[in-house]
Amino acid sequence: MTHESTTSLPVRTAHRHEAHAHLGGAKPPTHRNLGLTPSWHIGALAAAAAAALALGVWSMNQVNPFQIGGTGLIDALPPAYFVALALSLAGFVASLSLRRLVPALLTWQLLVTVVLLHGADSIIHGLPRLEASFRHLGIADTISQSGQLDPTLDAYFNWPGFFNVLGTLSGATGAKDLFGIATWAPVGINILLLAPVLALARRLTANPRQAWAAVWIFYLASWIGQDYLSPQAYSFFLLLTLVACLLSVFGGWAWPTERTRFSRWLARNVSKLDSSVPRYGAAEPQRADTAILVVVCALILLAMTTSHQLSPFAVIPILAALLLTGRLRLRFLPVLAVVLPVGWLLFAASTFVEGHFGQLLGSLGDIGANSLGALSTRVSGSDAHMFVVYTRMAEVALVWVLAVAGAIVGYRRKAPWLAAAAAALAPLVLVPLQPYGGELLLRLYLFSLPFAVCLAVLPLMSDSAAGLSLRRALALLLMGAVLATATVVTRYGNDGMESFNDDEIALVNRLYATAPTGAVLIEAVRNTPWRYQHYADYDYRALVAAEPIPNAAPLSCDAANQIAHKAGAYLIVTESQQEAAELRGSTPTGDLQRFTATCATSPGWTKVFENAGGVIFHIEGVSNGN
Amino acid sequence: MATERSYVSYATAAVAVAAIPLSFVGPEGLRLAVIGLLMLAGPGTALVLLLRFDPPRSAQATGALPLSIAIAIAFSLAMSTLVATAMIYARLWSPPAAVCLLSALTLVFLGLELKRPKRVLVHAK
Repeated sequence: MTHESTTSLPVRTAHRHEAHAHLGGAKPPTHRNLGLTPSWHIGALAAAAAAALALGVWSMNQVNPFQIGGTGLIDALPPAYFVALALSLAGFVASLSLRRLVPALLTWQLLVTVVLLHGADSIIHGLPRLEASFRHLGIADTISQSGQLDPTLDAYFNWPGFFNVLGTLSGATGAKDLFGIATWAPVGINILLLAPVLALARRLTANPRQAWAAVWIFYLASWIGQDYLSPQAYSFFLLLTLVACLLSVFGGWAWPTERTRFSRWLARNVSKLDSSVPRYGAAEPQRADTAILVVVCALILLAMTTSHQLSPFAVIPILAALLLTGRLRLRFLPVLAVVLPVGWLLFAASTFVEGHFGQLLGSLGDIGANSLGALSTRVSGSDAHMFVVYTRMAEVALVWVLAVAGAIVGYRRKAPWLAAAAAALAPLVLVPLQPYGGELLLRLYLFSLPFAVCLAVLPLMSDSAAGLSLRRALALLLMGAVLATATVVTRYGNDGMESFNDDEIALVNRLYATAPTGAVLIEAVRNTPWRYQHYADYDYRALVAAEPIPNAAPLSCDAANQIAHKAGAYLIVTESQQEAAELRGSTPTGDLQRFTATCATSPGWTKVFENAGGVIFHIEGVSNGN
Repeated sequence: MATERSYVSYATAAVAVAAIPLSFVGPEGLRLAVIGLLMLAGPGTALVLLLRFDPPRSAQATGALPLSIAIAIAFSLAMSTLVATAMIYARLWSPPAAVCLLSALTLVFLGLELKRPKRVLVHAK
């Protein structure tokens, strides 16, 4: 620590000078012009946001889930929803344009935007989103009840940190059912992200007004939908807090910039490209507190390592990028960020590594397959789904174009841009490693987004801390409207398959009540809201994955018969399985209805239960009834 | 400002103390609210109070509040994760004991905060 403090003296001295000038001289922008904005303006904007919230929630409650088609929720949302969204967007821009920046008002505006844009599933369906949410509840339930890990069961038990937390919560409160938490997780997680994203943006933009705008753009462009009750959402929050803490407390060069030729060259070029260091949001705790924060950062890294496979590896290039741009003076931390996940992989997750060695390293270095190859498999499905996919690609392109433009503008205006650009690009170095189940590009977009939005605001806003001009406010509002509308399409484009209803839950409960422990349970298409209990008590199988399959073959009764031929099995076909198959092109159009009708009359097949959510069959074993 | 800090300290201490009996017995809704709050923000809030990140109305710390909140939550979640994970790998799984440990950690930080000289402040721009 002593050495690091000494080596980073030039930069830290500069900070202190700024701090003293700031404390003794002009007031910061948040405190400037106090009193020039009438209180009724603030009250009116807060009331408009409340009206937008009420109208938005009311309009979402009017949605008929049966109207949700191939393009997702946008088909079913009433015009009142878009009025509410427009009111919310205009309210935020108006709040940002006030001469006096009011953090409480901006926070309220952002919370309304979060509920309107990221709470639709929770409000409309009242159930957890994505079948993975149900699985995650089941893993937590298994851990809570057994107090043990079975690393051979699946990858989750090799990175159990997040599930241990849920298991502790369930075990210590006696709550057997965490459905409510899972249902509202998207809203809760996005609200939790507000603090770290804002703290991060304060250190990567020129003034607080830009930082708030960056947070707003982050919410508007965050369509990936990884904010459900999941280890990745949890780790993403930890990652952002870690980086925000490092940028705020541990900024500066990690070595004396005059020590070697390389360090001189690096410092000179960094300074040439971007000599500005944002003032706001930086903290200079006492030495003892700084030491405590180092330990806190290490503990956050460790917690992340125990919880998720990918996120700790995404931290490594981000920390390296900050180190090389003179924004991180803890040079041991990137080393620790490498040691922890690799050590975990080799020791704690060794069972998983042994069983999946080929899968882990099979695509190493294959950049084409891991990027464009994985992307091309997603560009398929029904025409309506293709519209959603192309909108997603366009939205990503728009954010990146804005970020590149922001980097250029930042360079020209001598505004902070380099650290944000380096951190936004850094996660891309993971592309050669592996495709991560075809989801790598989606995850990389998410990791890059908090940094990219700090660049994206630059072309839309001036570096002056004063309020926005009318022209810039309108441009910002237009951009926000485009992004928000696109996100309604992109985030909820798969809503038909990602949301479930009470009938399906009743069907699954009936399955558990009927099938004896240890039985084979088959889902026709891998998209069933099950495993939220009895995660390890049954042998779960699927006939086909909910993935795009070119020239998909029709499902046959024989495939289920083969699985059931020894001891019998139970087959479940649900409404959302059908939606998934149609949307992703996993089976030919209408094949699941044909499969159900045909197999129902097959020898050995008995219909056990049927409701509006689907049907359960029992398939006899040994000779399938012949 | 000192009054606000005191209120946060009292509230954190109350949650930490209440969580101990509630981890064994009590109405499910109340247990979920109190223990959930402790695991989400208990130890971290106490730590942040100890570090003296001040609220934004302080001219010295206009940017500290978002960072303080983020660290308070992240540290609490990290500690919940590490305590639970250590218990499960050590085959000492006991959710009520994990909650008691987190409560104790919170109270220790609050105790240290009380003992700390009041004039120490984080300088933030």
